[in-house]
Amino acid sequence: MTTDTLGNSNAGAAMGRSIPRVEARAKVTGRAEYVHNLRLPGMLYGRIHRSTVAHARITGVDVSAAQAMPGVYAVYTAADIRKLIPEPYFGPAFHDQPILAIDKVHYVGEPVALVLAADPHVADAAAQQIVVEYEELPAVFDEVEAMTSKAVVHEVLKPAGTFPDLKHLKDKRDTNVALDFHLRRGDVQQAFADADHVFEHTFRTQQVLHLPLEPFVTVADPAPNQLVIHTASQSPSFVRIEIARLLGWPETRVRVKVPYLGGGFGAKLYIKLEALTAAAALIAGRPVKIALTMEEQFYTLTKHATTLRIKSGVTRDGKITARECEVWWNGGAYADIGPRITQKSGFTAAGPYDIDHVTIDSYSLYTNLTPAGALRGFGIPQLVWAYESHTDMIAKALKMDPLAIRRINILREGRPQATGTLMRDAGIEPVLERLAERMTWEKKYDRGSGTMRRGRGIAIGFKASISPTTSMAIVNISADGSCIVYCSTVDMGQGSDTAMAQFAAEALGIPVERVSVVHPDTDVTPYDMATLGSRSTYHMGHAVKNAAEDARDKLLALAAEVGLSAETTPIPDIFRKKYGMQAGNIIGIGSFIPPYTPPEPGTGLTTDATPFWMIGATGAEVEVDTETGEFKVTRLVNLVDVGRPVNPAIVETQISGATIMQLGFTLSERMEFDAGQVTNASLADYKIPGIRDVPPVMENEAVDMVQKTGPFGAKGVGESGTFGVSPAIASAIDDAVGVRLTSLPLTAEAVYRGLRANAGKPLQD
Amino acid sequence: MIPFELAEPRTLKSALKLLETDDPSVRAFGGGTALILMMKAGVFQPTRLVSLRGIEKRYAKVASSKDGSLRIGALTTLSALGRVAAVKKSAPVIIDTLRTLSNVRVRNVATLGGHLAHGDPHMDLPPVLMALDAQVVTAAVSGSRTLAMGDLYTGYYETALARNELISEIIVPAQAGRRAAYMKVTTRAADDWPTLGIAVSLGVEGQTITDARIVVSAATEKPLRLAAAEAELRGATVDDAVLARVGEAAAAEVELTGDAHGTAAYKTELLRVYARRAVRKALAA
Repeated sequence: MTTDTLGNSNAGAAMGRSIPRVEARAKVTGRAEYVHNLRLPGMLYGRIHRSTVAHARITGVDVSAAQAMPGVYAVYTAADIRKLIPEPYFGPAFHDQPILAIDKVHYVGEPVALVLAADPHVADAAAQQIVVEYEELPAVFDEVEAMTSKAVVHEVLKPAGTFPDLKHLKDKRDTNVALDFHLRRGDVQQAFADADHVFEHTFRTQQVLHLPLEPFVTVADPAPNQLVIHTASQSPSFVRIEIARLLGWPETRVRVKVPYLGGGFGAKLYIKLEALTAAAALIAGRPVKIALTMEEQFYTLTKHATTLRIKSGVTRDGKITARECEVWWNGGAYADIGPRITQKSGFTAAGPYDIDHVTIDSYSLYTNLTPAGALRGFGIPQLVWAYESHTDMIAKALKMDPLAIRRINILREGRPQATGTLMRDAGIEPVLERLAERMTWEKKYDRGSGTMRRGRGIAIGFKASISPTTSMAIVNISADGSCIVYCSTVDMGQGSDTAMAQFAAEALGIPVERVSVVHPDTDVTPYDMATLGSRSTYHMGHAVKNAAEDARDKLLALAAEVGLSAETTPIPDIFRKKYGMQAGNIIGIGSFIPPYTPPEPGTGLTTDATPFWMIGATGAEVEVDTETGEFKVTRLVNLVDVGRPVNPAIVETQISGATIMQLGFTLSERMEFDAGQVTNASLADYKIPGIRDVPPVMENEAVDMVQKTGPFGAKGVGESGTFGVSPAIASAIDDAVGVRLTSLPLTAEAVYRGLRANAGKPLQD
Repeated sequence: MIPFELAEPRTLKSALKLLETDDPSVRAFGGGTALILMMKAGVFQPTRLVSLRGIEKRYAKVASSKDGSLRIGALTTLSALGRVAAVKKSAPVIIDTLRTLSNVRVRNVATLGGHLAHGDPHMDLPPVLMALDAQVVTAAVSGSRTLAMGDLYTGYYETALARNELISEIIVPAQAGRRAAYMKVTTRAADDWPTLGIAVSLGVEGQTITDARIVVSAATEKPLRLAAAEAELRGATVDDAVLARVGEAAAAEVELTGDAHGTAAYKTELLRVYARRAVRKALAA
């Protein structure tokens, strides 16, 4: 029996402690619950037949051979789906994505038909027997070409109506532009004319993808009065609302349950398999499971490839006076959340610099490739890649030190960012200075000799939090003083269950071991926008804190009612006095939506763009083999501002995990395409980093900061480790051997070709 | 997956009988690491698979002679091969190669015979065994034959093995007085198929190289001996000038294939450098 009281010494005991993850033991003993392990009585397995061409009219679908195969329960096409859902289009920004292809396919891998069978192998074999006839259409793959190409991916644009800045695109024809965001601050052209120097560079990033080790998986169970969807999703509340909308049902007839996820990274947001699985289950009248293979992930969602043009006016002593940015985001065949990336990340395209004159033009483009969406950083790593590479190219041209040019230009506390929003609790300067210190930047550096040359680089980036978004939480105190937190934040490996338990324990002043966290179940856990963009610690943290404080206030009132002091009475005694036995609950509720001011149309300016800023910087050291261009990253130093760390051990793994993920996007990962077909859709041919690719020295640190508006001073941490990795490594290579790469990934061959070009003997193919 | 027959014969003889057919959908397998992937990808659909795992244990053993020559049973797993003391003594280059060959899960089940018979030019041991002048002994219902490693491969994923013929044994001759090395060049992640493989075996007397075998793999359709580069070493005392000529000869005599690991032009530059480095590594072995 607990003797905890609300007033005892536990306050301050939960926050800032490296408590072991609450789910760690269940995971390492194989007992943690995943949708992949779920089998329901009578369940059918679905296999998807996918488009083999990038852009075409469907002139015929022959499912007869598949249907005739023994063991096949049913084969469905869009015609079957439309009998249940007449307008089967979904998406968070545009209602552009059909559950199964209707009349046209827009990318290789687009789902065209679904086979159901009790045996997944039968479903698999039957899916291969479906024959689709196509009349091919011109396709567009490149994001810059998509701006002006004759090939148009969608005949007409269909904004979802959720976001005001997309309304002007409704019913627009003959365009691939799914959002054009513009920011205008000062007079850039005049400032260029007045500048001592003007520099302009173009950068590229490649198509990559999330590759969670648990691929997409959904089970839909058509229960008598309710459709239950078990899904590996980062956004259970969105899934419920969107499925209910598609079916024309009240939200309560759809129940979405999410156990643990084997990774998400932004892939498992909005609708992925849920609509198809739900429709199939309702038509079949049986539970249906669709579990994708690792290969099929390459045909589901990617990270935006980008082209970025950046131009700066600079004084002769290195002060940046003007910057012009153009960003083209390759959104693939469906918009997914791309238009939000285009704006919410796009407005930071000029970097964490104090520049009086800024223009930004950020374009979300449709192309005939796998759709692109959110991926750990929400577009920020692409932007940092460009502006930090550009910064170092300017420094080199002006013969300035990379640290020195940043010290001159960085956005300091209280100064306006390009939107006009003032920087608050944004540790840009402390992060930069601590990075310089840990890199011993101002000391002499061994640059190698002979065929091995050493170099180093630094880069810093920042990110706004997507705003405004809502989180709700319930905190339930049981009669024995233990506590349950109900929230729809998804623990996909980032440790949010542990963090939410810590927030509740801290607010109530009870030991964290007495708090448990209920997994998302939309019949049980209240609304949350989604687990994305490093928003949970801040937004759900606030909601849980508010709910716990509400519960605490109610407990105090209950104690007063029964004439006890809540300060000194053990919690169980308060319940016992009221209810005569161990009985009853106290339910606290909490909600949170941060203040926000939308950007002015046309100028993109706003006084309140974000509730908080995330800051991340990386220092890299490399060794380059001058005979082959091969290089090793020998050291990575990662500095972040996460406010006050809730759980320092988890914060460190979030930093290192994000960094290693971005290291893969920097060095080895690249989706290869041939006429829109992915030619390396396997882990054998698409290379994510292994343990031997991790630099021998990796240092991760959260600087000493407090986010004053955050719950107990905390803010998000999941993405900040990605920001600086790519440009820091590219700058280190340049520092070592004088080769500046402007396209990702950074390959040994590209370095070698640069060395040969510098020597005046370019490599001939 | 369409149902198929899985045969698990207890003897090599009965396994060979099960393979006596012209039907290409009948295949033998050892560890199955390559075949199962092909089946999962839908590129191979068997009607019958013949598992070799149950046949006589002697085909999974390694025997060594006093002179250091080795007879390696084709069903020896790669991880077992890596633990044989006689292999370490006679041909340490094999042990060194196994360290970066795929991963421990694959090595625990993949067999040497399967590794060689698959015909994939990205495999690491074919160039090494060619450089060691190894031979393979094959078995079929019609009888047995012995092939030089260099004659085993006829093209891209093509071997001299008949459909009903299995590798039963690999013979590595005595390596007395020879030095060997293998260099696996990867250009993406560390755990990757090689962009270029290069194996070197040198006969050395004092400071002089009496005989050299240099084999390139991964960027060619099958492992290839580099005769011109070998000729530069024969009778030479190694110095930077000799090594430069070795690299030039290697780069000049073979046409490499470009792919996602690198263009042909870049791989040729890698060969120019790594031919030199592999000779240095062999001399230091």
